[in-house]
Amino acid sequence: MMKNKVNIVIWVIGLVFLAVFPKVFGIYYTNIMVTLAIFSVFALSVNMLLGYTGLLSFGQAMFFGFGGYGTALALTHIEGIGVLPAIGIGVLASVVLALILSPLVVRVSGTAFAMLHLAFGQLMYVLALKLYNVTGGEDGIANFPVPGLFTESLKSSPEHFYYLAMVILGISAWLMWFITKTPFGQIQVGIRDNDKRIDYLGYKVPQSKAVIYVLSALFAGVAGSIYGMFHNLVSADGSLGIGMSFSPIISVMIGGAGSFFGPILGVAIFQLVDELILRYTESTELVMGVILIVVVMFMPKGFVGLFGILRDKISRRGAPKAEKEKVS
Amino acid sequence: MDPTVSMYISQGIHGIAYGMILFLIASGLNIIFGMMGILNMAHTAFFMLAAYICYAVVGITGNFWLGLVIAPAFTALLGVVMERLFLRRVAGHMSELILTMGISFVIVAAIKKIWGTESLPLQMPEVLQGMVNIVGVSYPVYRLFVIGLALVILVFMMLLLYRTRLGKIVRAAVSDRDMVNALGININLVFMFVFGVGTWMAGLAGVAIAPILTVFPGLADQVGMDAFIVVVTGGFGSLSGAFIVSIIFGLLSSYGVQFVSQFAPVLMVAFMALVLAFRPNGLFGVKE
Repeated sequence: MMKNKVNIVIWVIGLVFLAVFPKVFGIYYTNIMVTLAIFSVFALSVNMLLGYTGLLSFGQAMFFGFGGYGTALALTHIEGIGVLPAIGIGVLASVVLALILSPLVVRVSGTAFAMLHLAFGQLMYVLALKLYNVTGGEDGIANFPVPGLFTESLKSSPEHFYYLAMVILGISAWLMWFITKTPFGQIQVGIRDNDKRIDYLGYKVPQSKAVIYVLSALFAGVAGSIYGMFHNLVSADGSLGIGMSFSPIISVMIGGAGSFFGPILGVAIFQLVDELILRYTESTELVMGVILIVVVMFMPKGFVGLFGILRDKISRRGAPKAEKEKVS
Repeated sequence: MDPTVSMYISQGIHGIAYGMILFLIASGLNIIFGMMGILNMAHTAFFMLAAYICYAVVGITGNFWLGLVIAPAFTALLGVVMERLFLRRVAGHMSELILTMGISFVIVAAIKKIWGTESLPLQMPEVLQGMVNIVGVSYPVYRLFVIGLALVILVFMMLLLYRTRLGKIVRAAVSDRDMVNALGININLVFMFVFGVGTWMAGLAGVAIAPILTVFPGLADQVGMDAFIVVVTGGFGSLSGAFIVSIIFGLLSSYGVQFVSQFAPVLMVAFMALVLAFRPNGLFGVKE
C-alpha cells in the first residue's frame, strides 16, 4: 500500500514537471525534451525486439523513416488533413511494411535477422534516394504544413507541439510498458531465453515473434512521424540512414537491454555525450563507435546492470541490518 | 561481331569480375563465421582500409604490386590484433555484432580524418592497362586480372583447407572446437590465424577493386552491403554458396545497371528475399 502511494506521488510530480516544463525552462530545453522523448520511444521499440525477444535488428530506421515519410506525404498531398490522421497514416505505413516483411523475417533469428534488416534498411535508403518524384531524393520532404488540434499551425507554437508530442509519446511508452507486463510479454522473454521450450509448451513462436515485430514497427513509426513533424523535414539521411538504426541500439546498450527504463536512461546519456563531444569533433561515427566498443567491453548490461551490481554490493553489506529492521 | 552481342558478352565479364570481388570479401566473412560463429561487421571497413593503404603505398613508392602485398598484410595484422584484444573478451553473438560494428565505425571515421572524403584515383600498373581482344570483343585487361586473382585465391584456399594438416585442424575445429582443443591443439592460435586469413582476403579484395571504382569512403557501404547480402543468401559459413551467389549477384548487378539502372540494387535484395522465403538459412546454409 505504502509503496503504491509513493509511486503515485512520484508519477504526479513527474507529470506536473513535464506539464510546466516549457513555461519554466524556455524553448531551447523544451525542444531538447521533445527530442529525448522521440528517441526514448524509438529506443523502447528497439528494446521490445532486442531486450525482450532477443532479436537484434540493424534496420529499425526503415520503420522510423516510413512513419516520417508517410506523415510528411499525407500532410503535403492531402488538403486539410488533421494532424492525428496524418500521424495515423505514417504509422500505418510502417505497420504495413512490417506486415509484409514479417513472414520472411520471423523464420530466422540471431545473425541472419540482423543482416536481413541491414539489407532491407539499406534498400529502403537507396529507394528513398532514387525515387525523388515521391520522396524528394537527397533533399527529402521539407516545409510541409503541420496543423494543430486547436491551432492553425504547430510550426509557430513549439509549446503546443511539445504537449501534443508528449501526450502521444507518453501513451506509446505506457502501451509498450503494458505489453511487456502481459502474459504475452512474458512469452517474448521466454522466446529470448529458450525458444524451443516455449515451442514445446504449445505457444507459436514465429507468430508471437511476428506480433511483437509489428508492434515494434508501429511504435518506431510513431517516433518517426513525430520526428518528421518536429523538424518539418523528412530526408533519407535524417530518417532512414544507417546511423538512425544504430543510435537506438546504442541507447539500449548504454541503458541496459531487457530492462524497461534502461533505454530511456540510455537515450539521455547518449544524447548528452553526443552533444558534449560534438563540440570538439565533427565525427559522429567516431563517437558512436567508441561508445559501442566501451559499452560492450566494459559494461555489457549497461548502466542499469551497473546499478544492479552496486545495489547488490550495498545490500549484501547491509543485509543483517535489513533483517533486524524486518523483525522489529 | 554484332555490337549488341559483344555488349552482352562484355557486360557478362564485367559481372563476373564484380562477382569475384564479392566472393573474395564474402568468403573471408564466411571462413570467420563458419569457424568462430562471429559475423565480422568490421570486415567491409577492413576492405576499404586496404584500398586506402594501397593508395598510400602507391603514392610513396609508385608500385602497385607492393601495395597488393602490403595492404592485405596490414589488414590481416589488424584483424589479428582486433581478435586478440577485443573479440576474445566479449561473449555472445549480440555483443560480437555490436562490438565489430563499433570497430567499423571507428575505422571509417579514422579514414575520413586521414584521407578526407573525396574520391582518390588509383593508377593501375601499366601491364594491366589497355584492352585485350577475346573472341572479337575488346575487354579491359585489369578486370580479367581480377578474375584470375580471385580464382588463384580460391584454389589456394581449397588447397590450404583440404590438402594440409592446418586445413584439417581448421575443418575439425569448425565441427567441434572443444574436442580439437582437448586433443592438445591451441585452438586460440588457430582462431587467430583464421581471423587473419579472413581479413587478409578482405584486404585483397579492397586492393583489387580500388583501380576500378576509385578510393572513397562510401566504398565499404556500396560493395560491402552486397557482400553481406551474398553471405546471407548463400548461407552462413558456406563457401560454395558464397561462390555461386557472388557470380549470380555480379551478373545481376551488371545486367541490372544495363537494363533497369535505377533499380539495380533492388534486384539483389529481391533475389535474397526470394531465396530466404523458401530457404530461411540461405541457399547452402545448414540449420543451426
